[in-house]
Amino acid sequence: MKLERLVKPYYDALEEGKVLARRCLECGAIEFPPHYACNKCGYHATEWVELSGHGWLKTIILPAPTTDDARLKPYGRYGFGEVEFDEGVTTNVVIYGITPKKRKVLRERIANGEKVGVHKKIVDLGGYKGLHFELDEGE
Amino acid sequence: MEYNSMTHSRIGRYSRSVSIFGVGATPFMDINDDPELEGLTEGEVFGCAAISAMEDAGIEPRDVQYFYHCSANPAFFNNCVTPNMQVAEWMGMRGRGSVHHSEACCSGYVGLEQAVMAVASGTYDIVLSGGAEMATGLPDGTKPACFRRRITTDDIYPDLVKIGDRAYARSIIGGMNVGSDNWLDLYVRTYGLTDKEIDDTLNQMSYNGRRAAALNPLALMRTPFEDLAKEVGIDDPMEYLRSPYNPKVSQYLRVTGNAPAADGAAAVIVAPTEMAHLFKTKPIEILGIGASCLEFAVPQLEMQATREATRQVYEMTGVKPEEIDLLLINDFMLGSQLLAAEEVGYLPRGEGWKYVLEGRTAFDGDKPINSSGGRTSYGHAFGASGMADVYEAVIQMRGEAGAHQVKKTPKTTFLRGFGGGQNVRAIILRTAE
Repeated sequence: MKLERLVKPYYDALEEGKVLARRCLECGAIEFPPHYACNKCGYHATEWVELSGHGWLKTIILPAPTTDDARLKPYGRYGFGEVEFDEGVTTNVVIYGITPKKRKVLRERIANGEKVGVHKKIVDLGGYKGLHFELDEGE
Repeated sequence: MEYNSMTHSRIGRYSRSVSIFGVGATPFMDINDDPELEGLTEGEVFGCAAISAMEDAGIEPRDVQYFYHCSANPAFFNNCVTPNMQVAEWMGMRGRGSVHHSEACCSGYVGLEQAVMAVASGTYDIVLSGGAEMATGLPDGTKPACFRRRITTDDIYPDLVKIGDRAYARSIIGGMNVGSDNWLDLYVRTYGLTDKEIDDTLNQMSYNGRRAAALNPLALMRTPFEDLAKEVGIDDPMEYLRSPYNPKVSQYLRVTGNAPAADGAAAVIVAPTEMAHLFKTKPIEILGIGASCLEFAVPQLEMQATREATRQVYEMTGVKPEEIDLLLINDFMLGSQLLAAEEVGYLPRGEGWKYVLEGRTAFDGDKPINSSGGRTSYGHAFGASGMADVYEAVIQMRGEAGAHQVKKTPKTTFLRGFGGGQNVRAIILRTAE
């Protein structure tokens, strides 16, 4: 196979506000973050695809003394959780706009089958941009 | 929610049966400020555990053909790389072939897997595998190994971040240890536990572990919670465990739900079961070892990897969950003890927390888990802890555990190893006929 950079283009795209992933050339699964091969079916080849940057919140964990990340404080209150992208892939991420009170309400809504929308929030993590999320307006 | 974004494997049977014939372990210690222990080195603790395992088997260093050495992170904890040939000097194995490997807190379980494969393949007959970690301190500059200083959280947290993938995960997922809370949160939501019920369950696991550790001479934390409670004027140890003396450090886990670091080592001798006549102990056969590894950003990675490795080992061995007499789980984050026990089928789904609260999972209960005291009371010498679990399994299966011996001598033991990024191993041991 051809030696190709995937990590640098991913971060270069974040500088432009875009979220890149790969799509399996055999099963069509989205591979996020971008890697050469498909981790869903084990096929060897994928191609670039741009994601919408929107998704659905699945779980919420609040930061605590052993999990708090000081780099995130400038961007406001946050939580950790699983987000399923509109394109179907799920990953652990940081979500802004989460407070203990908000978590309680959102957790009940998710348990009742409601969808809680989140969208990309690209933040500076000290010389490079990182992909995080924040609650959709009205959530 | 379905979690299945990974590939799956099948494992085949070993080319020949392999058994454990010798085990050795140092206590899990805190060597700092202890005049009897201060200055102990990694080579000394590994050498002690390894020679103890040889003594147990009734063999000499000259009889061991190959060995595996593991530690979670030798560059960080011991200021060295490839320490295998360094520790060889401590046990009369200069010049023998060896491998060093590091899979963080799963290293010891991986060490058993590799040794078994080396013997099962026919390459070697007698193999030693051991793990060592001096985890309560760090090297003192460039001085010799006996000069160390106590480790701090400021030292260790930046190092723990290295578990996450540097290309992507560290920028996406933020803080550490969220995986433990995430699995507990899924359990609480799925089975409708109240905040008090899950807190009481976790505290009961702490209590059960300390009761066993208090009776285990190798354990680090041996002061019963009854005594710690009395020191601050509280009569009920459970009240102490849910009090501000035991504050929460993550969404679900209190201080007692996280493992204290320890210094120590453990080792095993494995060989073909058919060569039992060469050894002075009865063989404990390794029936099979399932394996699965998932990167830190994968949702519910501990649950998914445990499920995958467990399926592999049950399929390969034909063993059923109801045949398991003793379960040992790497529970450096305490929730794993309950969650993995249900995942491997040892406790019924959604009901395990009730077993815990009824004391049934204590070392003297009818469904014993972590009879050594578990990581949160036995202590956690990261790369050595898995091998210490193998040591515990073997002495329990021989009926030699003394005051913390489980009620029914186990014939079949399941070990669920976990750690570092994360690696999972699912191991089934059985007393050979």
